[in-house]
Amino acid sequence: MTDRNIIELRDVEKRYGTFVAAGGINLDLKEGEFFSLLGPSGCGKTTVLRMIAGFQEPTKGTVLIDGQDMEGVPANNRPTNMVFQSYAIFPHLNVGNNVAYGLRGKAPMAEIDQRVAEALEMVELGGLQDRGASELSGGQRQRVALARALIMRPKVLLLDEPLSALDKKLREQMQFEMRNLQQSLGITFVMVTHDQYEAMTMSDRIGVMFNGRLKQVDTPTTLYARPCDQQVASFIGEMNILPAQLLGETGDTLSIDAVAFGQMEIQRNPNVTTSSREMNIGIRPEQLEITAEEPEDYPSTVQGTVSNVAFYGENIHYHIQVAETEKPISVSVPNYFHTVDFKRGDAVWLGLQGASVIDLGTDTE
Amino acid sequence: MKRPSTLTAYAFLYLVFLYLPVLFLPLFSFNSGTIVAFPIKGWTLDWYRKLGEQDTLIQALWNSLGVGTVVAILSTALGLFAARAFVRYRFRGQRAAEGLVMLPLVIPGIIVASSMLVLFLFLGLKPSLLTVVLGHTFLALPFSVSILKSAFDDFDASLEEASYDLGVGVFETFRRVTLPVVSPGIVASMLVTFTVSFDEFVLAFFLSGNQPTLPVYIWSQIRFPAKLPNVLALGSILLLTSVLLLVLAEYFRRRSSTSEVR
Repeated sequence: MTDRNIIELRDVEKRYGTFVAAGGINLDLKEGEFFSLLGPSGCGKTTVLRMIAGFQEPTKGTVLIDGQDMEGVPANNRPTNMVFQSYAIFPHLNVGNNVAYGLRGKAPMAEIDQRVAEALEMVELGGLQDRGASELSGGQRQRVALARALIMRPKVLLLDEPLSALDKKLREQMQFEMRNLQQSLGITFVMVTHDQYEAMTMSDRIGVMFNGRLKQVDTPTTLYARPCDQQVASFIGEMNILPAQLLGETGDTLSIDAVAFGQMEIQRNPNVTTSSREMNIGIRPEQLEITAEEPEDYPSTVQGTVSNVAFYGENIHYHIQVAETEKPISVSVPNYFHTVDFKRGDAVWLGLQGASVIDLGTDTE
Repeated sequence: MKRPSTLTAYAFLYLVFLYLPVLFLPLFSFNSGTIVAFPIKGWTLDWYRKLGEQDTLIQALWNSLGVGTVVAILSTALGLFAARAFVRYRFRGQRAAEGLVMLPLVIPGIIVASSMLVLFLFLGLKPSLLTVVLGHTFLALPFSVSILKSAFDDFDASLEEASYDLGVGVFETFRRVTLPVVSPGIVASMLVTFTVSFDEFVLAFFLSGNQPTLPVYIWSQIRFPAKLPNVLALGSILLLTSVLLLVLAEYFRRRSSTSEVR
């Protein structure tokens, strides 16, 4: 990844009548970066991708690719290539001709054959040139779509929900493969996804979108630990959100009094603002300790009753009802010794360290 | 599984009612007598042999083949663009446009025929094969549009986008992606529209002037009782050809809607 901007979106907006599909988008993507646009369906992430690709023109603002203003430049003249959600494999062409499609008539035959072979090798479909489009499995179609786009040597590869059509196992495998491919090629990848885990495992940075707005752009770890508001906090992973009172602040440390857990010191989150004494805190389910007796080494504790148990294999999820809150508190515990320690109705204690509590500030919405 | 016998009998009678009259045509075409009535006097292939000797019939056949071919090409070409627009785009007046294209299916043929004759005469176009072509294209268009619409329904729009994305322009994309992918639909449409034109009588009767198409020729021959068995033989051949063409068209239509893996 370099410091050079390969894509710059300047105040980009796409409007359909009065409906703003995407608006106020400002974004700089670095050369060689793996960037994901993450959000629920209908949030405008695909619209942004299609404006970069050239399938849609912004109603306002500027799209720059490698410093060039893309206004009026059709998709076929942009230095980007796309992997479609449906993969869009040409059904009348075999694998070789699908991959060669964009090079036909633009390079000598021998060179095309050479590059097709290389591209197929790269996506681990070496030697499958003559395979018919209808004989491919879902995973193979995805690889053909990748090879067909990468053979054009794009400056930016755009991926529209590239893994959503695959089953879970294959999807996880492809996440690693695509990340490795991106790192070895050094091409900028821009991926649209609604799957937070997909975005987190693959990306250098993630842009989270809601209702046509780009809410936060950060690295996966920052997004997870320092979300800019409750919406982002709850979309990326699970989050217990509790009200709290701000008692005082010294530097980057906030002294608060939280519902259920009481007084504690937490880290200031620079991505939020606290405009009054009333604020919210977020607690990730895996940051809570659950014990039968009151834990001694946790500064903040609360007593409650198990209201639900879900066994996930690698994790066990508990819902703990405490007296002070309406919603039960979610707790996730690793499955250490193949035992589920608590059952519904058990009285338990929750323990918490101030350092793992997330400052969500005063919600402005 | 045993089915109720009354239902079976009903279904059987239904089919008899539909197809028995049609089956008399080939049956009597092998009858050696000239009177179309039972009992059949004897079996012969003479009527079929004599077909080839009749110059006016051959001329009418060529007229029909020519008209059918031009109509198939014209209506399929027009239908291709209309169908793509109907499936791909949402626009103001779309439903009205689709309805208007389908209208020839329900307008009485005699009305269309007489009004077209008036129109063409007004425009100074003498009744000829050209006017038949124009009339038949109008009549065949709904068939081609509906066949091609189903072909485009199964056509993933991102295929065309993928082509643009790979650096290929609009016209080349149409040639390299759109046409090949909908080609089974195009073949089906051409076969069906050809058959529609080939079998059409009313419009051709009004518009063909002194260049009769095959159905018009047949009608003119029916007036002479001696020629009747000959007409039956010809009719049987037409019947067989039409059925074969439509079966073939259906095969291609199905291929067009299953060729896309979704």
